[in-house]
Amino acid sequence: MSKKLYSRFLKPLFIILIFFPLLTIFVWSFIERWEWPSLVPTVFSNRAMNVIFRNKQDFFKLIGSGILISGMVALLSVITSTMAARAFVFYEVKYKNLINFLSLLPFMVPATVFGMGIQSIFIKWGLNNSILGVVIAHLIYSQPYAFQLMLAGTESIGRTYEELARSLGANAWQAFYKISLPMLMPVILASASMAFVVSFGQYFLTLIVGGGQVKTFAIVMVPYIQSGERNIAAIYSLFFLIILFIINHLLNYVGKKVEEKIYKG
Amino acid sequence: MKKKFTPYLLLLPQIGLTLLLITSLLTGIIQSFGVIPAFNLFKPSLKYYIEIFARPDIINSIFFSLKITLISSLLATFIGLVICGLLVSNKEKTPLVNIITHIPITVPHIVVALFTVIIFSQNGVFARLAYLLGFISEQQEFPRLIYDQNGIGVIISYLWKEIPFIIYFIHSLMSRVEGSLGEAARDLGANKFQSFIKVTLPLSSRVIISGFLIIFIFTLGAYELPLLLGATIPKALPVLAYQEYLHPDLRHRPYAMALNGIIILISLISSIIYYFLMKKRGGGYE
Repeated sequence: MSKKLYSRFLKPLFIILIFFPLLTIFVWSFIERWEWPSLVPTVFSNRAMNVIFRNKQDFFKLIGSGILISGMVALLSVITSTMAARAFVFYEVKYKNLINFLSLLPFMVPATVFGMGIQSIFIKWGLNNSILGVVIAHLIYSQPYAFQLMLAGTESIGRTYEELARSLGANAWQAFYKISLPMLMPVILASASMAFVVSFGQYFLTLIVGGGQVKTFAIVMVPYIQSGERNIAAIYSLFFLIILFIINHLLNYVGKKVEEKIYKG
Repeated sequence: MKKKFTPYLLLLPQIGLTLLLITSLLTGIIQSFGVIPAFNLFKPSLKYYIEIFARPDIINSIFFSLKITLISSLLATFIGLVICGLLVSNKEKTPLVNIITHIPITVPHIVVALFTVIIFSQNGVFARLAYLLGFISEQQEFPRLIYDQNGIGVIISYLWKEIPFIIYFIHSLMSRVEGSLGEAARDLGANKFQSFIKVTLPLSSRVIISGFLIIFIFTLGAYELPLLLGATIPKALPVLAYQEYLHPDLRHRPYAMALNGIIILISLISSIIYYFLMKKRGGGYE
């Protein structure tokens, strides 16, 4: 494989394969009619956009509840995994390997199987059709991503800095709050963003635990894909992607700023 | 004394989540043997599993699911490996690697389903292109790639998600191996291809197989893409299981759980195969 072939042909191909499909989503958001066999859409309009914005309140509520659910998932999974990672790195823990293996179970158990099982439990607990139920279900599936990231991050910082602070007279809480927490912040934000992404894209768990009562982008969008209303489905997809993009970049940006502040003064 | 309990207190939420997951699985497994007290079903039996294996449509679904899962996971692993090899041997910088991995991993499956329909259906972008180039003279002549019985649309959309995942999963290890030991092999006279096949690839095999198994198990149990892009018959296992689960006659519930039992069984078998493969190979490069 010559270098030239790679950079002239393959690299652009990779970029096209990633971006072309996303471009079709953008274009379809504004298509009214696309007669066969024209290669370009025949009639453009912002009807689909209007359909969605006709009821502004519902639309913003949809965005709000999606961000609320996934934001809570992100927050809870960060807290849970910061604590668990700390237990692993700072203390002697029995059955460490077992606990670590079990934390990876969601990778090995399909969400469909889990979802049908947990619904019976949530019905008993009264968590069915509730936002809290959806958050807990999402949390279980976001957890392994956040935990693996936090574990790696905590291990790389290690115990020395806190031990140093302790020897200089800080108490345990001060040592964590003033030393480890700021150093962990970039990893914490990366884990949060990962957990958010995993939760925001969930369809099945939201459907089965939320029972159609808890509405997210995924839940509202699927019927439009099934009925072939591509322009409306495309608009929802577009907002779906924009929100993911903003959250992702916001957290990465803050993470970088924090890192600069810590290591450069 | 206090120090002894601190780590377990810290682990409490994590362990709680794990227990909830395990309890849900056990609930499903118990129900698959026909024990659901809430529906007045008490007597455990293998009836549901036996009946499932007697139904030809379910056998078809099992094979269909295994087929699309195996084909998409094998192809994704192979193509991901080749692309990753190219990226690594051309010492590709991080930005491009990030673009081609992070974006597809972030885009939700439902959105992938939508653009697969837009691009590959019989009035999609490719069909129009084929017409323009004179390959077909009407829509119906374009091969049915979406909602087809071979699950081609489903496989294509999984590839878009999973090839980048494989690259993401193996890239950092592979570039480390290639940079150190691959470089050494080339110093000793191996060419680029030889050093890749004989040194980098075997040393990365453990991570490659883990990546394959993760996407295999995920695909086997995933619901969205076969729901939105698959044919009415045969249905993928998770789609069929959920259909039985929603059946108005609640006595159908154990069938759904038995189908889930089959999914768990296949996942379990592949995890065991994986475990023994790893033991035999003994490690690899970390």
